[in-house]
Amino acid sequence: MDNGIWSKERIIPMKSIYYIMMIILIVGIAGFFVFGGFGANETGNAINNNTDGNANGQAQKIVLGIKNYNYYPNTITVKSGEPVRIYLDESVVGCYRGFTIKDFGIAKYLKTPSDYVEFTPNKKGTFRFACSMGMGTGTLIVE
Amino acid sequence: MNLKGFLKYASEEENLFKTLFISLLTSFATLALFYFIGLKDIENFIPKYGIYLLFAVLGYALILLSARHVRTYREFACMSGMMIGMTIGMIAGFLGGFYIGSTNGMFWGSVFGMAIGILFGIWNGKCCGIMGVMEGIMAGFMGGLMGAMTAVMTLNDNIRYMAVIVFAISSIILFGLNYMIYNETREVQSKNKESDFFIIFWSLLLTVITIWIMVFGPRSALFQ
Repeated sequence: MDNGIWSKERIIPMKSIYYIMMIILIVGIAGFFVFGGFGANETGNAINNNTDGNANGQAQKIVLGIKNYNYYPNTITVKSGEPVRIYLDESVVGCYRGFTIKDFGIAKYLKTPSDYVEFTPNKKGTFRFACSMGMGTGTLIVE
Repeated sequence: MNLKGFLKYASEEENLFKTLFISLLTSFATLALFYFIGLKDIENFIPKYGIYLLFAVLGYALILLSARHVRTYREFACMSGMMIGMTIGMIAGFLGGFYIGSTNGMFWGSVFGMAIGILFGIWNGKCCGIMGVMEGIMAGFMGGLMGAMTAVMTLNDNIRYMAVIVFAISSIILFGLNYMIYNETREVQSKNKESDFFIIFWSLLLTVITIWIMVFGPRSALFQ
């Protein structure tokens, strides 16, 4: 009767079983080493009220950069009913310069750091902003 | 499928488990040596590069295992040879491109992926002549670009889980390739038994190159 790998006539000889066990051990040790830092937060998401708007109708100015391959600050808070102006600094490159906020119909390629998108958020809530390909994303909170 | 027969063949005739073990031992020993010599002083080395290096090394071990298996017979029919060239070229290119693309960006990931993919594609595809070579070049070219592109496009979208999924699927495909070689060569006697030095040399070379490119190599603007 065939009892699998432990039978007298093994499918896999004992020598190969030792190799398999050593492979599992090596990969296990390496995996333990690596996945110790698996939960590390590399996106560096931060809530940041990076706005300097005022009650005189001036735009709330926000400058976004890049940190850990994503927009930084990653969460921005603005006031409802007041114009918002978003700039991308020189650290933002490639397709990340195509800036979109789907819920407010914003989609613009900001070629230089002095280019900006301007809109007036007329609804409160939490919205996503992203690059044109959806690779860089962040959160816009309208209060 | 005759899995029992394949396992017996992999253990006794071709020593595939031993090959895998030697490759992993070489690569991880190299990694450990470099880590304790200097890489540990690099800020966030493990969280930043650890998972990609781990899966790159595991991927190389499976690719080299398949390459050694192919080189044992060297000559295949056109259909099998094309499949061998395409599979190894595509997987080598995709994995190389993906893991370098994750840390160095689209351009360098693509360049590395295409180089590795085309090299392994030609090397293994030539077992059936020009058709296998052509297939290997095309697959390496496409795999390298696709791997890097996938990595860059998932940077902010669970790239670590994607790294695991990509490796798991590649492993299944390479297992299938080795099973196919077993089926195709059942009646044929092994022609060339490569020495273990073959595996040690290539594991060492690929691991060192990967570490160097990931940690010290050029990178795209987004990854500066």
